[in-house]
Amino acid sequence: MGLEYVKISPGFEKYMPKDYVDLVKYGQFGKQIDVQQIDQIKELVEEHPMCAGCYMAYFVRIFYASLPKPEDTIVLGTAGCARLALSQAAVPFIYGNYGDTNAVASGLKRALSIRFPDKIKDVVVVAGDGGLMDIGFGMTMHSWFRREKFTTIMVDNEVYGNTGGQESGMSPKGVQLKMAPKGKKFDKINAVELAKTAGCVYVAKLAPTNPKRIAKTIKRAILAARELGPTFIHVYTSCNIEYSIPTERVLADAKEREKNDFGFYEWMTDEAKEYLEEQEKKMAEAKT
Amino acid sequence: MYYVADVKESECAKYNCKQCVLFCPEPNTLMYNSEKHVAWVDYSRCKGCAICVYVCSDLLKRNCIEMVMMTTGE
Repeated sequence: MGLEYVKISPGFEKYMPKDYVDLVKYGQFGKQIDVQQIDQIKELVEEHPMCAGCYMAYFVRIFYASLPKPEDTIVLGTAGCARLALSQAAVPFIYGNYGDTNAVASGLKRALSIRFPDKIKDVVVVAGDGGLMDIGFGMTMHSWFRREKFTTIMVDNEVYGNTGGQESGMSPKGVQLKMAPKGKKFDKINAVELAKTAGCVYVAKLAPTNPKRIAKTIKRAILAARELGPTFIHVYTSCNIEYSIPTERVLADAKEREKNDFGFYEWMTDEAKEYLEEQEKKMAEAKT
Repeated sequence: MYYVADVKESECAKYNCKQCVLFCPEPNTLMYNSEKHVAWVDYSRCKGCAICVYVCSDLLKRNCIEMVMMTTGE
């Protein structure tokens, strides 16, 4: 962790794998890239085994491209689809037991702030709706109650996609799934309102239809978590297998859901607003 | 045989756009050549989801990408 650990020692370039040399030469380490320049760089995430046309994989790709300091970031995940791509990236990844990601992240963030008091170290949890809102519900909520300073991103595919299609707390009411043939009887959990009540300083909800906006939201969530407290992003990442969406219609589906119930929503405390404005001003000045 | 996306270079070069690159779910698969102003596909990495075709044909009405069957070694 840290820029000096990423760089290759002089004279060793020819012995390192080509992918790694490219990553250091043309990658994101030590640079501030705009997500629109994603075609110009060697991306942090490599080939992964996620399904064709999976928009969770797309979100993970944009997520890595928008990290403000990838060399000083640790990503945490849990059982679920997202970890298949998260673990294929050149950013340290910790695999929590199912449901305890936010407890692991709390400890990790505290340890990092003791070990590196003068450095910025970002901790980001990227887990699914099952890991954060069903099985890990208690640990997620308590990390927010304790106001732990890290970012939680929920990639919500509204189903347990890995285990055959059981309903989750985030599945919409009435939806019929392979292992919920009678249809879901309860409403979708309102995760955004829960996060606001539990003490998050920055809360956002979005569908992955606009890469620039995704990048901006992720950057804001990570910046606010450095200084102020917990932050939360709720993303709709459809499961094209369990919801039987033809792969070429995945983006169309995301756009449709954005119009209906996943419209872009952003909420932050006054303190966070002031802090983010100041930080974004500084970043804009550094660019010019 | 693999089902992959293929960019029609002559069509694509007419526009200075890289929207397909920004919506592909696979990293470093659909890329953009800024000298020739065309997008290009790394066939060995493409999973054939055709989201780029939706972006190019349905959203932008430019029809520069098509899906093709490709044999290994081609």
